[in-house]
Amino acid sequence: MAKISLRNVEKRYDATLVLRDCSLDIADREFMVLVGPSGSGKTTLLRIIAGLERVSGGEVFFDDARVNDVDVGDRDIAMVFQNYGLYPHMSVYDNMAFGLRRRKLAAADIDTRVRRTARMLDIEPLLARRPRQLSGGQRQRVALGRAIVRDPAVFLLDEPLSNLDAHLRVQMRAEILKVHRAVTATAVYVTHDQVEALTMGDRIVVMNGGRIHQVGTPGELYDRPVDRFVASFIGTPQMGFVDCRVERSGDRVTLATQSARIEVRDPHRRSLLGDPGVTIGIRPECLTLASGSDAQSAEVAVRGNVQVVEMLGAEHYVHVATDGGALTARVPRHQSVKVDETVTFAAAARDVHLFDRETGRALR
Amino acid sequence: MGTGLPRRSVHVGRVVQGVAIALALFWSLAPLYWMLATSFKTELEAASLAPTLWPHEVTVANYVGLWSGSLPFLDFFANTLFTCLATAIVAVVIATPAAYALSRARFRLRGTIGYAMLLFRMLPLVVLLAPLYLLLLHARLLDTHAGLVVGFVTFGLPFAVWMLKGFIDAVPIEIEEAARVDGYTRWEIVRKVVVPLILPGLLTTATFVFMEAWNNLIYPLTFVTTLEKQTLPAALVLTFTGQFKTDWGGMMAAATLTTLPLMIAFFAVQRSMVRGLTTGAVAGA
Amino acid sequence: MTQAPGAQATRSVARGTDDVPWLDTMVLPAASVLAIVVGYPVVYTLLLSTQDYNLLGTTPQRFVGDDNYRKLLLDPTFWLSLRNTAIYTFGSVAIAALLGLALALLTENIGGRHGRAARALLLTPWAVPFVVVAFLFRYMYLQNGGAINALLLAIGIIDAPISWLNVSSLALPAVMVTNVWTMTPFFFLLLAAALAGIPNEVIESARVDRARGASLIVHIKLPFLRNALLVSSLLMIIANFNDFAKIWAMTQGGPGYSTTTLVVYVYRLAFENFSIGYASAIGVVWLLLLLAFAVAYLRALRMT
Repeated sequence: MAKISLRNVEKRYDATLVLRDCSLDIADREFMVLVGPSGSGKTTLLRIIAGLERVSGGEVFFDDARVNDVDVGDRDIAMVFQNYGLYPHMSVYDNMAFGLRRRKLAAADIDTRVRRTARMLDIEPLLARRPRQLSGGQRQRVALGRAIVRDPAVFLLDEPLSNLDAHLRVQMRAEILKVHRAVTATAVYVTHDQVEALTMGDRIVVMNGGRIHQVGTPGELYDRPVDRFVASFIGTPQMGFVDCRVERSGDRVTLATQSARIEVRDPHRRSLLGDPGVTIGIRPECLTLASGSDAQSAEVAVRGNVQVVEMLGAEHYVHVATDGGALTARVPRHQSVKVDETVTFAAAARDVHLFDRETGRALR
Repeated sequence: MGTGLPRRSVHVGRVVQGVAIALALFWSLAPLYWMLATSFKTELEAASLAPTLWPHEVTVANYVGLWSGSLPFLDFFANTLFTCLATAIVAVVIATPAAYALSRARFRLRGTIGYAMLLFRMLPLVVLLAPLYLLLLHARLLDTHAGLVVGFVTFGLPFAVWMLKGFIDAVPIEIEEAARVDGYTRWEIVRKVVVPLILPGLLTTATFVFMEAWNNLIYPLTFVTTLEKQTLPAALVLTFTGQFKTDWGGMMAAATLTTLPLMIAFFAVQRSMVRGLTTGAVAGA
Repeated sequence: MTQAPGAQATRSVARGTDDVPWLDTMVLPAASVLAIVVGYPVVYTLLLSTQDYNLLGTTPQRFVGDDNYRKLLLDPTFWLSLRNTAIYTFGSVAIAALLGLALALLTENIGGRHGRAARALLLTPWAVPFVVVAFLFRYMYLQNGGAINALLLAIGIIDAPISWLNVSSLALPAVMVTNVWTMTPFFFLLLAAALAGIPNEVIESARVDRARGASLIVHIKLPFLRNALLVSSLLMIIANFNDFAKIWAMTQGGPGYSTTTLVVYVYRLAFENFSIGYASAIGVVWLLLLLAFAVAYLRALRMT
């Protein structure tokens, strides 16, 4: 059990700045997910928490104690590596016992712990085997077991599922969460898969380009993304963005492109709008196919040309191009749409996100 | 589907290939057969003006002569074996941590030291011989096996570091990081995790150093003055004078015995040696 | 435990470990051994090269500045030995590399027991100690009673026995043949391994493009071998420069100076004439030449 704090953490390799000004608080026993595209710095951040890398600036605290200079072996953490990092020349049993032996625990004690963990993960029959005799999923469990058996304060997992096939991945996700509930430790989990992040995390850290964009619960990230990057990264299919001009005539304020017309009635929102324009974002499930009068009376109406229609069984994903950007809509099966058709979508005003055109920050 | 070539061309190609390989095999093995055959010939037959393909009179006198003759061949053999083994062990023990450091650490001089290792092999060792001689003289290591081992080790060390580094590079770093997380220190990691994993590479490097030391003529020639302490290469050169100058049969017997340990060592590690040289060579120095 | 090679590369480049104390103790033994036993002699050699130092001489050791270097420039034997070294080294390496390449290509598609046996047998010359090779070939090169003359006479290529090692114009080539015999397996080994490492997909897509035979070799396979060829050549060139055993045991640098390479010349100067100062000067020049060569070579290597 430990809470972790990062204050203004910075990391550079030679001249390149890999992490900039990262501050983060992870609560005791929380399952925190670091998510972001490749190169976003999430793994580096994890390794800094582990102590495998030293910070170039800033501080790291475990339970209010500064651990910048504490060596990785003394931090009471356990780590599951992306490629598992199992010791090839040792049996599964020895792999799990290796760390415990270093701490000079009694052999009997070690034995109990290893077997108990092995039972929890269903790998007891594999204890005598070598890693090369195991399947990917089994190795993954051994890597997990090796971490669990140490009974650490913090679990660190570096994309542990990315080498498994899709089916196994879903299965292991649930296993990992189950294990986390059973042990009482804080967990920090790195992934590039936003679906994994949403389904597993208590809270999520979205990172890009070495910076933390947003920290929040899955719901917060989904409903109130703090900028365009988070909005586009979280959610499948991706949120659509359209660049609009701000038109004011009389006391009406409209966002417009050639293909869209959005009336802004809410006074707070009106106050946020500045010239020359703004980018709006709409999630696919908020767009409904409209025609004729529905289109006229809708608060938000966007017309576009259909580029691709993806058939997914119960629904279609329809990708349209407008003059201000591309949108995707989820359309029920029975409504047929053809490529190259011009269609109009309607949405509610409250489902429209506003983003500053230059900085990408959300306007709330 | 086929290769598209008319059948006869393929056939001819195969024949040519077969002939070429046969020639290559002859080229490689004939001299060795010759060495072996001559060692079983009498002195007279070995020096005959019309060389015979197969010994007309097969004799083991040459080998017996090495055992019980006037020259201390067994001493030479033992000296060589001892010094080369010692060299291999010492070199590998010193080179392994250095190779590990070069492989894992990021420090500014890393690239330089790597190239420096390669550079050492370019040194005109024959010239360094004089100062080295004086150094050993002052340390009272001249005409001793210890001094010879010192010389051999310095000769083989850079290459050992380079080769071991290649093997260590192939160990995934995550395994070491897992050991660090488990609380092990660097030295412990080298001993308990890295070394077991590069064992074949260690043996290969040791064999390589062993072979190089076995081949070294110039150091024993210069540093060892007592004949009884001499190693095989130098002994062969030094004793092949006077009455032995035409004893080709005896020389070939000595040659065969000198070759045997090296052959055995070489073939024992041949496959691993390729891997070690390839990872270094193909992946770049 | 497979992963995209690119991913592994960037990870291990980006990752380093920046705790350093253990580093010193690990490199220390190796570095200090080399510093003492190599560093000190190097420095001392530089010093010696500026002195007139003859261990046998009646004149005492004295500083003469760059006299030795001037002497060197005017010394015909030095230039001859340099020329011989160049021919011996580059000639042998080039031929051995080509032969090794040919062997690698020849045995590439022979699999199974026969292939393994053939390849193992073709490697044997490399496992023979250099001194043994030298004496063996010396025996075979004998004018009267030598196997080579006997063979050539029998085939009809020559009609009188030739004294290979005693004729100035023939001695160097003869010694080079011996050198090639020893070196070819090394190239064969490495190039065969590199060939085996060419991804199957590349070969298959080349065959789909109807590349065959010579074209397949030159355009598709050779580029993959380039790195291995260059590095192994560099290793062998360096080794050959220091190659004392073979030449000494075969000819001692004779007849005359026709097989005297730099190594042999320096050895004789230092240990037969005992002119250590002059020998050191030659050594320094040798080192500079090799350095220049290596730098140029490595630069070419870096560009692949």
